[in-house]
Amino acid sequence: MSADTPLLTLLTTTPLFAVGLTLAAYLLGSALFQRLKRPSWLPAILIAALLLAGALALIGLPYATYQQGATWLTVLLGPATVALGMPLYQQLPRIVELWRPLAICLPIAATLAACYSLAIAWLLGSSDTILASIAAKSVTAPIAIGITEQLGGTVALLLGALLVTGVITIPCVSLAARWLHIDDERLIGFALGLNGHAIGTVRAFEISPTAGAFASLGMSLTGIFTAVLLPLAWRLISMGS
Amino acid sequence: MPALSGFLWLISYWLIGEVVIHFTALPISSGVIGMLLLCATLAVRGRVPSSIAAAAQPLIALLAMLIMPGVVGVFFIIGELAGQWSAILIALVLGTLLSVITTLWLLKRLIGQPHVR
Repeated sequence: MSADTPLLTLLTTTPLFAVGLTLAAYLLGSALFQRLKRPSWLPAILIAALLLAGALALIGLPYATYQQGATWLTVLLGPATVALGMPLYQQLPRIVELWRPLAICLPIAATLAACYSLAIAWLLGSSDTILASIAAKSVTAPIAIGITEQLGGTVALLLGALLVTGVITIPCVSLAARWLHIDDERLIGFALGLNGHAIGTVRAFEISPTAGAFASLGMSLTGIFTAVLLPLAWRLISMGS
Repeated sequence: MPALSGFLWLISYWLIGEVVIHFTALPISSGVIGMLLLCATLAVRGRVPSSIAAAAQPLIALLAMLIMPGVVGVFFIIGELAGQWSAILIALVLGTLLSVITTLWLLKRLIGQPHVR
């Protein structure tokens, strides 16, 4: 490389820059989270994401360039999702114990998770595209992207809706659990995964492995249920109106 | 290298998920199919091989970091939706609060609290 190549261009020719930036933001975010005494309204991932967005803006690195380098990390999401099968197996006896209430709760709760927000957005006059983009807001990202494309929504807006939903689920669950006098980690975990997808599940693993396993269960069941039924329901409603 | 062979298992299950999706056109991600297959395999074998545990545990611990690059993208689309944000935010925040309360209330009604840990 010649001396007049801008330093940033030089550094971003290797994905290691984006990977290093992500690692740094993650470690710094986690350290800050500990220092702030683990506030439930400000999860570690939000602190880290804000730091990372700030860093990108500061050095003027376009998001697309960063994202390309970060693929080296995001590609691991596939095997990491598969890895969730292990805690799921380890908690299988506890889950089987509760299969009947969970089977009753899941379709109702997963449907309502989408319907509440859709109804409110519709009442506030949001466009059809926006409705289609936020419909899958409680579904884990890889599944939600597929659903949103089928509904004709915007994937970028969907990811925004996923972030907001995931982050807000955490204080909502601690608030609602206190209000309803629930301290059963299994219920809290299931609610975190069902409503807050991967972000809620990560939080549940911070509580305990049991909460984490129920969260992975809630997350995957919601994902499958919504993926199968939402596009179908959407088509029926669109035909009716 | 137990972690390495465990990692190969995880990748293989993910790839099997891709194959299943290709042939069935299921609207599910291959990660979820792989997860269910892994869980089923472990249930059949009746134990977790140390190689899979060695690969799965660190990966699960890293989940938060792995979704970060996608999450950061949100801050770069804010400009595109000027004027719509308040409605979207209200819908998401209020909708999530309502749905969390409903979920927990339903679970409490259906399960109760048989033993508090």
